[in-house]
Amino acid sequence: MQRRVVFPHKALPWLLLAPQLAVTLVFFFWPGGQAIYMSLLQQDAFGASVKFSGLENFALVLGDEGYLQAFWRTLYFSVSVTVLAMVPALWLAVMADRVVKASTFYTTAMLIPYAVAPAVAGVLWLFMFNPSIGVLAWWMKALGVDWNPTLDGADALWLVILASAWKQVAYNFLFFLAGLQSIPKSLLEAAAIDGAGPVRRFWTIIFPLLSPTTFFLLVVGLVYAFFDTFGIISAITQGGPATATETLVYKVYKDGVHNLDLGSSAAQSVILMVIVVGLTFLQFRFVERRVHYG
Amino acid sequence: MQLKRLITRGLLAATTAALAFGVSAQNKPIEINMWMGLTGQGGEMLTRFGEDFNKTQNEYRVVVSFKGQYPEQRAAAVAAYRAGNPPHIMQMFDAGSGDMMSARSAIVPVSEVFRRAGLQFNAADFIPAARGYYGLPNGDLLSMPFNVSTTVLFYNKDAFRKAGLDPEKAPRTWPELIDAAKKIRTTNAAACGFTTTWLAWVMLEQVASRHNVAFGTQSNGRGGLDASLTLANNPVLTRQLQTLIDMQKDKSFDYGGRSNDAAAKFISGECAMLTQSSGGLGAIAQGAKFGFGVGQLPFWPDVTGAPYATTIGGASLWVFNAPNRTQAEFRGAARFLDYLRSDAVMTEWAKATGFLPATNSAFRAMQTEGFFAKNPGRDVPILSLIDGAKGDNTNGYRFGRWVEIRDVFHEEMEKALQGNQSAADVLRNTERRGNVLLRAFERSAS
Repeated sequence: MQRRVVFPHKALPWLLLAPQLAVTLVFFFWPGGQAIYMSLLQQDAFGASVKFSGLENFALVLGDEGYLQAFWRTLYFSVSVTVLAMVPALWLAVMADRVVKASTFYTTAMLIPYAVAPAVAGVLWLFMFNPSIGVLAWWMKALGVDWNPTLDGADALWLVILASAWKQVAYNFLFFLAGLQSIPKSLLEAAAIDGAGPVRRFWTIIFPLLSPTTFFLLVVGLVYAFFDTFGIISAITQGGPATATETLVYKVYKDGVHNLDLGSSAAQSVILMVIVVGLTFLQFRFVERRVHYG
Repeated sequence: MQLKRLITRGLLAATTAALAFGVSAQNKPIEINMWMGLTGQGGEMLTRFGEDFNKTQNEYRVVVSFKGQYPEQRAAAVAAYRAGNPPHIMQMFDAGSGDMMSARSAIVPVSEVFRRAGLQFNAADFIPAARGYYGLPNGDLLSMPFNVSTTVLFYNKDAFRKAGLDPEKAPRTWPELIDAAKKIRTTNAAACGFTTTWLAWVMLEQVASRHNVAFGTQSNGRGGLDASLTLANNPVLTRQLQTLIDMQKDKSFDYGGRSNDAAAKFISGECAMLTQSSGGLGAIAQGAKFGFGVGQLPFWPDVTGAPYATTIGGASLWVFNAPNRTQAEFRGAARFLDYLRSDAVMTEWAKATGFLPATNSAFRAMQTEGFFAKNPGRDVPILSLIDGAKGDNTNGYRFGRWVEIRDVFHEEMEKALQGNQSAADVLRNTERRGNVLLRAFERSAS
């Protein structure tokens, strides 16, 4: 038998939900709807001539080889950023979990990069790796590395990948640490008594029990790499050299704000919306099966 | 006692404030907003011109503000226009002109603005190159040319001396420049031989004008919106770009970015030569710790008729239209434009920045004053732009979405400078991708 609590007041739940609904409508549904509407129009920059053009914008975007290149580049970028942000974070979390003294200090210190604004992080990396004035670029030159992100596309792409990953390590670290601390000590002790070494304990107990956290961070990390890295790319490379660091979200900005091609830009953001929804769906459908919720 | 005094004082202050408010509400000056895309010395001067104008009268209050580099400022202005509140006056660079010209409902031609304000305006007083660029067939001007420039060559005299080159002689032709750049590299007089700002403007638009070659149909887009680019297989442009691509390998040319960032490479002494807008002179004179000289943009001597005149660059001032805009506001915009084109302002501007005087009368004023005789080298842009030989293809171009097409060219050139493709590929790809954009522009504008 099920007991349900029924509020006598019909309007109250709506009233309580209203602020959240208002925020969602104004900041998510309205702009989202605008993007879909504008993706179906062909118009000049000033909005003097606006014509309905059906799916023409989508056909143009998808038929553009530059767009397809940007798609694969974004995938490469996002996977690299996600992996590079998760592996060191896990390692650091495992290390921090073992620290007994001053663990609050280490934990706080690890969190600092997350508090840095993307644009500031971008400028920081830009200066460190600037081929003319950067400290790290100077060291690399001394080691004989031919480093030139202003002209070499691969160098530039790795620079934005590293900067983007660096910023996300702190966030991942925090979640991994919390995950580690919730693993029952008795399990680990039992395994230790049975003769399992630290490496074996990690792979057979800790890693599987961390899988919900890992999965969550994978989803969040990919969404971060797809959308939130805009500030870093804008500050470091502006999508260049050539289009070496132009990701899909940067292309939306460039075509919309810089080139004032609103129809194409709107169509691209709708496509991006579909990609991210699809990606998240796939992850839940296939990856989540392997996740073990303790 | 003290309290009483305090109250009296407070009352007094309140009355004064009310009085002052009443007075100011009666003849509160009308605010005229102008957006500009200039930084540094040029930006400071233009802001000061606004303040100076405000001191000469109290009907209008001009506010000049910086809204980002030209492309960002343009995006901000478009957003403001769509929201119904664009700036009264906007400074727009050469490449954005094609877009502005076809947005005829968004702007009011400056000749018309002056007519409505009842101010006398002689469009023919502006220098012909600028008139051709920003004018209508009937002689009216769509926008008012303000900071007019052309490409010149700056060179580092100290580095020339070190390399055993004649510091008093600027390279006149590309073979001479290549030779000088190689010598500078072999003697290590500088880390790089030469660099350029605004790659597309200099190496595509200006080089085409210098040799009187077309890069589009319909007389470089002036004939109509259905014009296309014709870049592929152009022998002059292919040779020019391939030269840069080859020189990049030994740093006798070193690429310095798409906009004017490369000027810093010259000012710091890293590169010994720089092709740059004549308007960049002020910054170089302020920053360079070495003697420098100015020459005209080099040319290929085996091209028939070369050298032709270079074409203009820089920016012009556009007056925006908006539904809620009053006649008084248009009058204010006209009054300020009238102030900016006066000989006193134009000559002060041109002298300090290295931009050209935009009007014939300001040019004559500078001549009679003996400015060019006293400042050798300052006549170089004028000789290159105004006195250079004219051809069918030296009047500039008019293409929509040109800001974007320039970036397409930049992208393709960057690929080539990385060693991934040839000059022929650059031109072929730019033509193909550029024409897609031109067709999209044609559809959206007609």
